[in-house]
Amino acid sequence: MTIVQPVQIQVADKVFEAWDSLGVQGRDELLARTLTLFPEAQRKMAVWQIANAQQEIADTLTMEGPTGENNELSTQGRGAFLCLSNDESDAATVGLVGQVFAALIAGNPVITVGLKGQEIMDKIATSVPEGVIQNIAESALDSIVEANNLAGIAILCDDAAAQVLNQRLAAKSGLICQLVIENDSQNLTTIAAPHYILRFVTERAISINTTAIGGNATLLELGSLDE
Amino acid sequence: MFKAIEVLQPNFIQRPLNELWQLISPLYNMDEEKWLNELLPLAKPTDAALKTCTDAATQLIEQVRKDDDSMSMIDALLLEYSLDTKEGILLMCLAEALMRVPDKATADAFIKDRLSVADWASHAKNSDSFFVNASTWGLLLTGKIVTMDEKHDGTPANLVNRMVNRVSEPVIRKAMNQAMKIMGHQFVLGRSIEEALSRGKSYRDKGYTYSFDMLGEAALTAADADKYLKSYEQAVESVGRDTYTKGYRPTISIKLSALHPRYEVGSEERVMTELFESVKGLITKARALNVGITIDAEEADRLELSLQLFEKLYRDESVQGWGLFGLVIQAYSKRALPVLAWLAALAKEQGDRIPVRLVKGAYWDSEIKLCQQRGINGYPVYTRKEATDTSYLACARFLLSEHTRANIFPQFASHNAHTIATISCLAQELGATTQEYEFQRLHGMGDALYNSLIKGNDICVRIYAPVGSHKDLLPYLVRRLLENGANSSFVHRLIDARCPVSELVDHPVTTLESRKSLANPNIKLPIDMFAERKNSFGPNIEIASDWGPFKAKIDAFMTQDTQWRAYPLVGGEKVETGQTHTVTSPYDHSETAGQIDWADAATVTKAIDLAEAAYPAWSSRPASERADCLDKTADLMEENYAELIALCHREAGKTIQDSIDEVREAVDFCRYYAQQARTNFAAPHTFTNYLGQEQSVQMTGRGVFTCISPWNFPLAIFSGQVVAALVVGNTVVAKPAEQTSLIAVRAIEMMHQAGVPTDVLHLLPGDGATVGAPITSDKRIAGLAFTGSTGTAQLINRTLAARGVAPVPVIAETGGQNAMLIDSTSLPEQVVRDAVRSAFASAGQRCSALRVMFVQEDIADRVIPMIKGAMQEQSVGLPYLHSTDVGPVIDKKAQTMLLEHIERMKVEGKLIGETALPAFADKGTYVAPAAFEIASIDQLTDEKFGPILHVVRYKAKDLDKIIDTINNSGFGLTMGVHSRNETTCARIARRARVGNLYINRDQVGAVVGVQPFGGQGLSGTGPKAGGPHYLQRFAIEKQL
Repeated sequence: MTIVQPVQIQVADKVFEAWDSLGVQGRDELLARTLTLFPEAQRKMAVWQIANAQQEIADTLTMEGPTGENNELSTQGRGAFLCLSNDESDAATVGLVGQVFAALIAGNPVITVGLKGQEIMDKIATSVPEGVIQNIAESALDSIVEANNLAGIAILCDDAAAQVLNQRLAAKSGLICQLVIENDSQNLTTIAAPHYILRFVTERAISINTTAIGGNATLLELGSLDE
Repeated sequence: MFKAIEVLQPNFIQRPLNELWQLISPLYNMDEEKWLNELLPLAKPTDAALKTCTDAATQLIEQVRKDDDSMSMIDALLLEYSLDTKEGILLMCLAEALMRVPDKATADAFIKDRLSVADWASHAKNSDSFFVNASTWGLLLTGKIVTMDEKHDGTPANLVNRMVNRVSEPVIRKAMNQAMKIMGHQFVLGRSIEEALSRGKSYRDKGYTYSFDMLGEAALTAADADKYLKSYEQAVESVGRDTYTKGYRPTISIKLSALHPRYEVGSEERVMTELFESVKGLITKARALNVGITIDAEEADRLELSLQLFEKLYRDESVQGWGLFGLVIQAYSKRALPVLAWLAALAKEQGDRIPVRLVKGAYWDSEIKLCQQRGINGYPVYTRKEATDTSYLACARFLLSEHTRANIFPQFASHNAHTIATISCLAQELGATTQEYEFQRLHGMGDALYNSLIKGNDICVRIYAPVGSHKDLLPYLVRRLLENGANSSFVHRLIDARCPVSELVDHPVTTLESRKSLANPNIKLPIDMFAERKNSFGPNIEIASDWGPFKAKIDAFMTQDTQWRAYPLVGGEKVETGQTHTVTSPYDHSETAGQIDWADAATVTKAIDLAEAAYPAWSSRPASERADCLDKTADLMEENYAELIALCHREAGKTIQDSIDEVREAVDFCRYYAQQARTNFAAPHTFTNYLGQEQSVQMTGRGVFTCISPWNFPLAIFSGQVVAALVVGNTVVAKPAEQTSLIAVRAIEMMHQAGVPTDVLHLLPGDGATVGAPITSDKRIAGLAFTGSTGTAQLINRTLAARGVAPVPVIAETGGQNAMLIDSTSLPEQVVRDAVRSAFASAGQRCSALRVMFVQEDIADRVIPMIKGAMQEQSVGLPYLHSTDVGPVIDKKAQTMLLEHIERMKVEGKLIGETALPAFADKGTYVAPAAFEIASIDQLTDEKFGPILHVVRYKAKDLDKIIDTINNSGFGLTMGVHSRNETTCARIARRARVGNLYINRDQVGAVVGVQPFGGQGLSGTGPKAGGPHYLQRFAIEKQL
């Protein structure tokens, strides 16, 4: 049975690979162009999310392992992320900007909602490839939430709303949709924490048998190192 | 450990043969320092001898360098394209693969891939050798070397790349293939023995003789083995017909792994019967034609098996009294000297002489790698080149000793001028005439050295010469060269005039003794491979001295007298619930492993109550204390290794190596998470927040964690989840799989013994309804780690969400529809070996197991029959036997589901092959490994968790569509790729939405901290188990 995804999810899925392939550095360069368009508090949050991503997920880690193998660990985006806030306060808007920048810098296409979302999208859309950020009307929210291919939702809301949303997401078939909640819209204790970014990524491990193609230079080097 | 120096006493080899045999195996991974101290006195020259051999070596090198024609073509190639240059490696990679690529598009892409990443132009005309310059790409591509010299645009580095783009592709491909043929011609003496004899005549006129080698890959199928046997027989017949009368008669070298698809210790019975008969037939023919036979040396794991086979053949009447049946011994092996002593004694006992080729050894890199991968307690080889050279000379002294010479005819194979000079001096010192030993060298290497030697000495020099089609042999030879780049080093330096002679004539003993340690500190022992934690160890089941005592300990737990009796463990108490279940062994349902009581509702509630109450105290303990408990648990698991392996066999039906790997993974989880916790959880972390203020956060636990684990890794996954949750500061209620709870009980007991308080950690064996439901619906549960099916994960997620409390972390590792992509540059033998292991090891019951193999259509007709042939060689059987490759599946339900799928596939797909089942299969739940060709992955709806492989052919141009199809399945756990084209690998890596990608290897067996494991999409939530981000998800980042 073919499940038809909402058009916004289709658009997001289409641009996802290219956006993700840019890497943190490539996305940083594009997103950095938008920063001056944001008010100071929001800009600080956006700058911090980008810097934090550079610190936490930008580098491909080389894993220790046996000779003759190359093992690397890196991160990728998860896919279409919905970012929204149930709180209209200025502080919450800073949080929403934090969500959007965290989701984007991690490699995900982002869908925002309503007027607040539109304001953020307008500042970003011209600097990133088309489709990487989209905004929807409140009326379209349900169809996005229900979409099987939605990779995650980052939301500023209270506990009660979070529970309801969590139940809705859990009721869906398909992948387990990530729900990234911030319930402290004044202090943004979750959004402004260093490991927040990890909720927006998946990890990729690549193991290459280097002896199959090009020899075992590591061992050769180790064997002849001066002491 | 025996006293090495004693071998020089004439009566040493008069000891009983069995006594000498016993000296061999214990040296397999002997402490390098200790053993080299034993060997050094045998190799250490007197001052006078040192001077003599240094002078001789100097003279030899000077002679070689004076000779204008000194450099053979391969020597020259290695000098220009040294394997420590990018171009050298890329050239060899091209040579290794190009000729086997059948389709033009892939060949063109491969050439472009190789040529585009290196600076070929810088090599143009650097070499004095016409061959090398001819091999340099500019010449071969266009013949416009003049253009290249002119550097008309000043950017020579890009010249070749521009040519690649400019010249039409067919021309380049043709030129490249021509280049490879030229290279092949240099590496291979002839396509047939007749051609080799003809081409070798000029060398034989100079006094050389040959040992012809019909090199090739190891046989994976009976058909391949049969093909290689016929090839050897024809070689023997051809050499037998040789009419050249001058000098020494050529011999044939044979590779046992080419003559039997299962030449390995686990198949000892077949080796000692089937392979014995094949080799005996060959020997009978060879003896009748007076053509000597030498058995080549292979990997260290097979040494003892090869000696057993050699002894059986040697004692056979077909060999007795012949004197031309020999073998190769590798000096880099710590066991070399006692093997030689045993051979001398064997020959003495029979009254014959055994020709023994002493080599330094060609598998050094892979021996080191294998030991590191398997956590072997030490290495079978020396870790310094000079230690191998020392061993070589120690062995040489024994071989040239008067009491050995009568029993062994030594054949010294080396391209090292110093070694050659020293052997000559040693022979003189010990009174050996030049008729009592010979030298050997490889075709195309060391010509000048031996030309100098042979001129002044009446000594036999035998050239080891590969014979066969260039297409088959060049890849093999290049791979040997690539895998063992170190061996080219002396040749390289010898002919490099910039390298002073004095640097080439250091005696290895002098060099070795000048080191601070005899073992190379840069090559860490497998157990010390990780900087911040101890690696788990594994016994080597191929080696008698390593495996024998270990197996004896396991055997003590394998009788029906040993029955485990287990209960839910709550607050450290064994809770007798009266709901007793008997655990039967999957391989034989008439056998039991023990009994276990399942938890009831009251037990579950009590466990959660206790866990909740224990949380504050446990979470406030320093992370380092919790980490200590994990380290201690790891040690206890290793102390109880044998019992845990027995449980893996009897409860889960796991094979021996799978069981070892299971324990190792559990141990690694404990040590890795302990180390991670010490690094990241012990102290607050300070950072600058978005407002520019300094802020501190402390990672803390969340509360009571539920851990639900599967039966396929009943110790490793179970323990990994539990200790991860614990070390962060959570308390845990754990539900093991119903089928494999006994081993989980032992794991929990060890964790308690290691210091985890009994009110912190509780075990709740039982089913989903009684245990699973309450531990996911209780409002106090603060997080969940789950490994199992996608459907169950969704169900659990719903249960958790329905509780009416704040959402909690769900860490779910679920299923996969794992694919392997194979293009036509890949090596079929490697593909088949890796695919068979990935699909059928552990009876396909691994999350990572290969389910759908995509083969480029151009090579499918070669690969698919090989898969069928290799499947026929798989052995399905009792999991605790070394001979078994595939054990049972876990239970009747799994078996029924898999058999139904097989029946469906027999209708909807095309059966490639099915492995035979043993006669006793009905006693347990066995499923014969099966492979089917299907049209598309879309024919598969869900994962079939068993030994069933599906194969899909694809067109090279459709690779992206294939990746899309795989991505569209929604699963994203593992993927294998076999391609020599790095651009293709990178493209697949960029596009494929999978958690673990394996390139040019199998796709199972992820190692903790090395290949963190976990998928995306329908395959899991992440973070990856055994990775640096896993623990964070079990914790809260609390602002201070």
